[in-house]
Amino acid sequence: MSRERQMKLTRRVVLVLLTSLAATGSGTAAETPATPIKIGVLYPTSGSGAVFGAPTMRGHDMAVEEVNARGGILGRRVVSFARDSKLKPAVAASAARELITREGVDVLMGGLSSAEGLAISEVARQEEVVYIATIPKTVQLTREKFHRHVFRTAANTDTEGLGIARILGNLDARTICQIQFDYAYGHDLAAGIAKALDTEAPGARIVTDLKVKLGTTDFSAQIAQLMASDCDAVASGLWGSAFVNFAQQGKPFGLFQKVKYVSGGEIGAHEIAGKMKGNYPDNVWGNSYELWYHDPVPEAVAFHRRLARLEGTEQTSSWPVLAYIGVETFAAAAGKAGSLEDDRLIAALEGLTVMTPVGPRTIDADTHEADTGQFWGPMVRSPDHDFRIMEPVTYIGP
Amino acid sequence: MLTNPTFLFIQALNSLALGMNLFIIASGLTLIFGVLRVVNFAHGAFFMLGAYVSFSAATWTGSFWIGLAAAVAVLAACGWAIERGLLRLLYEREPLTQLLFTFALVLILGDVAKIVWGTDQHTVSYPPGLDGAVDLGIAYFPAYSLLLCLLGPAVAAGLWLLVEHTRWGRVMRAATEDREMVAALGIDASRVSAGVFAAGAALAGAGGALAAPRVALTPGMDATVIVDCFIIVIIGGLGSLWGSFLGALLLGFVTVFGVVLLPEAELVLPYLMMVGLLLWRPWGLFGREEVERA
Repeated sequence: MSRERQMKLTRRVVLVLLTSLAATGSGTAAETPATPIKIGVLYPTSGSGAVFGAPTMRGHDMAVEEVNARGGILGRRVVSFARDSKLKPAVAASAARELITREGVDVLMGGLSSAEGLAISEVARQEEVVYIATIPKTVQLTREKFHRHVFRTAANTDTEGLGIARILGNLDARTICQIQFDYAYGHDLAAGIAKALDTEAPGARIVTDLKVKLGTTDFSAQIAQLMASDCDAVASGLWGSAFVNFAQQGKPFGLFQKVKYVSGGEIGAHEIAGKMKGNYPDNVWGNSYELWYHDPVPEAVAFHRRLARLEGTEQTSSWPVLAYIGVETFAAAAGKAGSLEDDRLIAALEGLTVMTPVGPRTIDADTHEADTGQFWGPMVRSPDHDFRIMEPVTYIGP
Repeated sequence: MLTNPTFLFIQALNSLALGMNLFIIASGLTLIFGVLRVVNFAHGAFFMLGAYVSFSAATWTGSFWIGLAAAVAVLAACGWAIERGLLRLLYEREPLTQLLFTFALVLILGDVAKIVWGTDQHTVSYPPGLDGAVDLGIAYFPAYSLLLCLLGPAVAAGLWLLVEHTRWGRVMRAATEDREMVAALGIDASRVSAGVFAAGAALAGAGGALAAPRVALTPGMDATVIVDCFIIVIIGGLGSLWGSFLGALLLGFVTVFGVVLLPEAELVLPYLMMVGLLLWRPWGLFGREEVERA
């Protein structure tokens, strides 16, 4: 390289460096001089989990931006350190540890699958950092594996099981086939359903119980088993692409004509229905944390408006709200505690009520769980859209 | 259920449909390895691109079949371009470089797919007339899966005819044995290489398009397929067409009947089968014992 070219290059590098320094410098200097509050956030943003991880991350960033616009937390700016958890518990755990030890985050948030949630929670326990589980639903997180640093703003598998059992009862289902994932979430959801069936659908009994491995893409063997079973309803929790695979493969068998399909795992979310469009099967009752066409509280209207601006469509995705609630909960708790000191933050979170876009949520002081429910209903064709919507929408809480 | 012949018959057909879809994809992988001696890690990414291209083309035109044709055409073109532009430069290098190259392709194509089609999951509708079930006398079975059961052997026969009974196939086989000799005879062996890589990519694309109605199109959908494909070609013997055919059938049956008979061990069964077979025949069912050439 000639000397002149090298000088030019060096000049450019220095210029870029100075510009970027000036940009970050002006941000911190103008808002708050103190060190920022660091949130460690873990969602899968690559691979198959990105379908939900990417919109969830949008909700997180949106909440952080809003908190900062309000002046931050305790007068300090909030910054996020995001890591791709890849939907793998081991990756989530090592990323969580790295966030604590290297970045020095003040709080951990996120996890998508229950397996990820349990892995992050274990790190939070060892490192004594507060972890807010915004999506993982397994009850183990707040029971067998409970520790004082773990909190959950997501619904749990008992509440979701109750929703499924109630719908099965309303549909007067007598014989039920069950197909669940073979990991914490599937096992605990099955237990949640079984527990609630006694009261919600006393006449019903489970005749077939199938477990599928996470990552399964071909469900033809299980579908043939369901077709050969004598059941009038199928209870499930196959979520994300697993539901899409299952539905696409089950339709030609006539499965959705033979049985009523009642499932958790947010298969009623617009991320699924809006993309499957005409391919969404008949006779499905599903759930969602949030629906762009349903405003249960006035706060939802404003939330949808802001999210629509960010996503460029009024048909907003339903997963951002989960991360949004996580950030808002932390901000409210830190504000109440007046400090990020461990004991005070935990004490502030216990019993805390936060107004969210889906209604007020209170964290139980003993179980560390928010009283989060979900919206349930049949997925029906709509004359106004080329995708299915949930109609009527019913909220089922704990 | 296990004493019910209808149930077993349906599960056998399910195994066949799964196996044949996988065979169509894996046949491309085995073709590329057989002729070019390149272990193509990007084969799963080609499969994914095929599915996505068929989705876009089918959405625009409303025809599943145009989607399938587009996937074949686009992937063949991609394969040709990648071989001519990049892979060609690596034949003389050590195998590790090629391995790293195809692995880099996996990452690059994965990101390309994410940029073009986003992280949302998409679905492709079944072609009209094939979205229901066919009455087979003793049971109903999805028409589309039945089509897959028939397409697999058709592709195998077509490839066999192409390789064994055409001039292009003869040149290709000759190139497998001795590239320099082929070149010395005045045949442009480099065009054979490009053609083989393009055909292999096109088969992966066709497999992706054919799988598309049965699966969710999502980032990362290549990950499971590439593992299945490698199991198939390793069982069958690297580079063997009929080995892959048999390997795919075996994998289909082990996967489906594993779910029915041994659901707890379902995930490890294909690997156990592979390990067992390799202990017995380290070069695979139809593979040849590799002898170091002087």
